[in-house]
Amino acid sequence: MNLSAIEHVVPATGIPEIVDNVYLPKVAVLDRVVSEIHEVKTFFWHFEDSVEQRAFKRFRPGQFAQVSLFGVGEFPTSLPPSPTEDDTFFTVRQVGSCTSALHQLKPGDKFAVRGPYGNGFPMEDYRGKNLVFVAGGIGLIPLRSAIVYALANRDHFERIQIFHGAKTPNELMYAPKLLEWERMPGVECHVTVDRPNNDRAAGEWTGNVGVVGSLFKKEGVKVPVENSIAFVCGPPIMFRFVIQDLLGMGFQEHNIVSTLERYMKCGVGKCGHCCIGVAYVCVDGPVFTYEQIKKLGEDI
Amino acid sequence: MKARILYRNDVLKIVDLLRQRGYEVIAPFRERGRDTFFDPVTDQNRDRIQIHLPNPYYPPKRYVFPPIERLLKIERSNGDLRIEPTYDVQKRAIFGIRSCDVAGIYHLDRFYLGRDFPDIYYQKHRNNLFLVNVACTDPELDIGEECFCMCTDTGPAARDHFDLQLMDLADEFMAVAGTAAGEALFASPIFRKVSAEHVARRRAILEDVRKRFKPSTTSWFSAAIQAVSRGEIPEETWDAIGNRCLECGGCTYVCPACTCFTVTDRPADPNGVERLRIWDSCALSGFTRMAGGFNPRRAVHDRRNRRFFRKLAHYFIERELSMACVGCGRCAAVCHGDIGMPSVVEIIRHSVERSKEA
Repeated sequence: MNLSAIEHVVPATGIPEIVDNVYLPKVAVLDRVVSEIHEVKTFFWHFEDSVEQRAFKRFRPGQFAQVSLFGVGEFPTSLPPSPTEDDTFFTVRQVGSCTSALHQLKPGDKFAVRGPYGNGFPMEDYRGKNLVFVAGGIGLIPLRSAIVYALANRDHFERIQIFHGAKTPNELMYAPKLLEWERMPGVECHVTVDRPNNDRAAGEWTGNVGVVGSLFKKEGVKVPVENSIAFVCGPPIMFRFVIQDLLGMGFQEHNIVSTLERYMKCGVGKCGHCCIGVAYVCVDGPVFTYEQIKKLGEDI
Repeated sequence: MKARILYRNDVLKIVDLLRQRGYEVIAPFRERGRDTFFDPVTDQNRDRIQIHLPNPYYPPKRYVFPPIERLLKIERSNGDLRIEPTYDVQKRAIFGIRSCDVAGIYHLDRFYLGRDFPDIYYQKHRNNLFLVNVACTDPELDIGEECFCMCTDTGPAARDHFDLQLMDLADEFMAVAGTAAGEALFASPIFRKVSAEHVARRRAILEDVRKRFKPSTTSWFSAAIQAVSRGEIPEETWDAIGNRCLECGGCTYVCPACTCFTVTDRPADPNGVERLRIWDSCALSGFTRMAGGFNPRRAVHDRRNRRFFRKLAHYFIERELSMACVGCGRCAAVCHGDIGMPSVVEIIRHSVERSKEA
């Protein structure tokens, strides 16, 4: 991936005659809501217009969309489904006014969506490589798309490893999916929690205890470094430690990728909020290599 | 480019011609003192239009990028949503726009329309816009203390991106057409053929006026771009600049080339909502703050320096094929902490010179 944006530049100085409205979202209908973990829910939806639905389904893993709750506002959110899946959905934590408004919606309610935006993971470039996914907490949401995509195109890739860490067993993201991956042949899925629950519903935790990086040293785990791409996503503190672990193992900075989050208003490189260093996260990202992230010069 | 001559008394007839053609004409006016502003022309104020005056602090940018603009109208009924974009398609002419502000609008063209995802709201304003540039030739009135268009190569007479350019040759004006629309005005009998003597006079006036600018440290502008682009500015220097920022956002609101906006919804009609975009400023602390409170940009320095980095880094100039500073000097005029662009260039110069001596 190239940070230089010169290829986007249209050299002509004239004013274009016909322009699409990039700020116009399309009406979407909420189908059902699944509770994931505390304050995090998955919202299954479809566009009212089937043409829009088909057009949208061409998204790539790692891209994002803008969701409109009219009267409240619009927010960017990653696309956890893989384009190889039938459903379209968002997994969203209730954290600000827009996400809270989304959490209030009932099946059948209407909102609006535009996108997909951003570069996404260059999955084609990763053909023939080992894929190492490292997700902390809700960091699994943006990585889910690439994981499901990779497993649906299993023969394009060498080894596939998933490392997921959460605070407690109740905080493990996409728990049914994790179970599926743990049992699936051709993928190594390792899960850990910071502290095992002592509370009722979860039952006894018999799995690994420790930060996500502790999984790399677990007995029987061998993270391939040669010919590998590491996808890292999670809270800032987890990100810093996992990066250190990976670099320590011998990963090169350009073989570590992540997806960044920023305050965004437009999603199309105009409003200016997500600009860090020389990059607009919305159009030059949200996927960046660690080599690029280091140069951007802001907290992650 | 075609040129014509017209009598001084006929200059405002250009405003009449445009109004006859259905344009809302915006022109500069002057109240007491330094109070100058762009306003729509009416039959009442038409004769008070100023050809020479200190450039208004509010640039005419708002006629292509309004401070508050409605993007969408949303109606809710029986659970259904109807989303309708609303466009302003008024034909507008800006009469008396200065050369720096012409460059400012060209920068907005490049930024909003020159890349992926062109902006339809801007495009509609821009397609309906007619620019009558007046070259700055009066050293007393046109050229201010803070003007540095000589350093950004945007003035005192714009070379392109206007429809019509007027230059004061004393008892007469020379009109130069920059577009076919501008040239079409020459059909009016107020325009006469240009003689070689007129061309020579134009050249002499321009040569003279170029000497009337304050000899300023902004001549170091291109070197500042180099230093910023190479990452040669020490952290202490950025801190020193940041320490002087009061976070008022004034520089961004008077800048003819600043482009940032926020988007917000507000109630309209009984069941409706309207979505607006509103100018925003990278100087303000909430600019990058995310839901949940995490702010990746630290304190004032990151924010303040963001603006100068954005304007001076070669990367962005290449990205837009245009520079986000046009030398109008407004930021220098409004900044309480004296860190307008000319001062920042000066601070950078001292800093780079110091580090070279060390």
